[in-house]
Amino acid sequence: MTTSLTSIAHNVAHRGLTYLHDHQDAEVFPADIPVEPEDPDTVYKPVAEIGMAAALVLREGVGGTAQLRAARELIDFTWRQLREGNLLYERQVRNCLLTDPIEVYCHFVHGGHRHEELERLVTHNAAVGSLPEVYPNRRLAVANSYRMCGIPTDDDWESLLRATWLGATPPPWAIDWDTAYSMTHTVFHVTDWGARPHDLPADVAGYLGTWLPVWTDVWSEVGDWDLVAELLIVDACLPEPRFDLDMWTRFASVQHSDGLLPRDAEPVETDRVQRFWDHCHPTVVAVVAGTLAVSRLLGAGR
Amino acid sequence: MEGLLVPVNGERLQVALTDAAAEVADRVLDAVDGTQDIGLADYVNTGADAKTALGAVRLIGADVFAPHLLLGRPVHPDDAAVIAHSFAVFPPAGQAATPRQQVVAWRDWATSHLLARTGQPAPAGPDVVPTAVPQTATALLGPGKSWQEWSATAAQLSPLALPGLGGPIAAAMFDGARPLAQGATQAMLRRDFVTAARLIRWIALLSSSGVRQLLDPGLLVERIRLYGGTGSRLSLDLAIAGRLLGMEPA
Repeated sequence: MTTSLTSIAHNVAHRGLTYLHDHQDAEVFPADIPVEPEDPDTVYKPVAEIGMAAALVLREGVGGTAQLRAARELIDFTWRQLREGNLLYERQVRNCLLTDPIEVYCHFVHGGHRHEELERLVTHNAAVGSLPEVYPNRRLAVANSYRMCGIPTDDDWESLLRATWLGATPPPWAIDWDTAYSMTHTVFHVTDWGARPHDLPADVAGYLGTWLPVWTDVWSEVGDWDLVAELLIVDACLPEPRFDLDMWTRFASVQHSDGLLPRDAEPVETDRVQRFWDHCHPTVVAVVAGTLAVSRLLGAGR
Repeated sequence: MEGLLVPVNGERLQVALTDAAAEVADRVLDAVDGTQDIGLADYVNTGADAKTALGAVRLIGADVFAPHLLLGRPVHPDDAAVIAHSFAVFPPAGQAATPRQQVVAWRDWATSHLLARTGQPAPAGPDVVPTAVPQTATALLGPGKSWQEWSATAAQLSPLALPGLGGPIAAAMFDGARPLAQGATQAMLRRDFVTAARLIRWIALLSSSGVRQLLDPGLLVERIRLYGGTGSRLSLDLAIAGRLLGMEPA
């Protein structure tokens, strides 16, 4: 069963990465991302997320040569889209309380890209310790970003976790779609994307072990593949992942032949650029889910 | 030949049975929530369609004993006779081959088992009331089932979630805290309150027996009451769960 699941997860990640790699061109990406875009979610955030997925593929190192080369080319491409970090630096200079520059930057550091001026800014910001009020799971994202960059903070991880929805372990039936995303991100950041599964307190890991299968079942039933992909990452971040072969089989079956992973059960656009932007996010998440699953299955996860 | 020419409206029969079952459920609910008798005999014997009414009694099954088991109310001999008669009119199927048939056999077992305790003389004819325990508890609720299958079966067996009934099905539930809670959570998120309430009955029964549960059944009962769970059958399941937990009637 393990071999079969490893193969399925590997294929999901490989095909998703190939899809992202096949779309790094001028037809898809605009020439210049504004420093202060009207809607950061349109291009800036997807570029950052593609870079993150590529960084995680490189970090885990469980893909084949072609996959690692594609990941390397993608992280270099997205770094260029961020103007070798100048975009992040400009955002931080103009808005000293913004946290997204460090949240984006930390993954590129892991991918071998540095921006010294930005690092000086964010190190200073960490010392000042003036953070905007954000959702508790986002606050964990900031803490993990500093940790990934090796910048010291006095973050108390236990209390940061307990401030989240997940940290309170509420009744599992009292969750909604938005909060499910919050829950997934709490796990991503506490475990540093599956690198530190044992940083989840035992009660939280046990809670997830019981209820994650139910949430995955319910949201796969309605074809919410974007959220299912996030939930599959959560599973791969647990001290004892479940790796449900049936669920992975169903998840893999919705992936298109070119590697696109649809966000939901609605029809997918045919226009090349439109369908990329519509389904870039779930495809990125699928790459991460597949990569972390393979890594944990092979015992290479830390 | 004449009879074959009369069109049989199966759909209308089904509606009549559903309405009658709702009526019986409402009567049990009123008894569980209040102080009055169920009045089964009165309902069956004074209605226009006694056969449909008896079918409804069979459908509601062991829950007609809920006021007795939950609140210590006596079972009226006339009501017991009606239940016995319902078995005579709608005898149980002989073989329980499929899981669905096995579930029905267990529900019949529960009703007849509780009926036998009332001292009601068995109705005429051999084996009208099935007293033999169907040997299928392990097949239905044994290990190796997914939590989805396990909890779906547990929901179908919810009329057995009554205090003092006991038996192999209730015993199997003692080991099922996890799939019960997972199934209830799945049903709540699907907004399938009917299935949720059936599972909550088991959780409430186990909880009231001192078995630690993963979910708080009282909060679940309250949530469905407040968020739009309706229907006679659902209301009865919630009322029984509420009584097991010592909650005030809705």
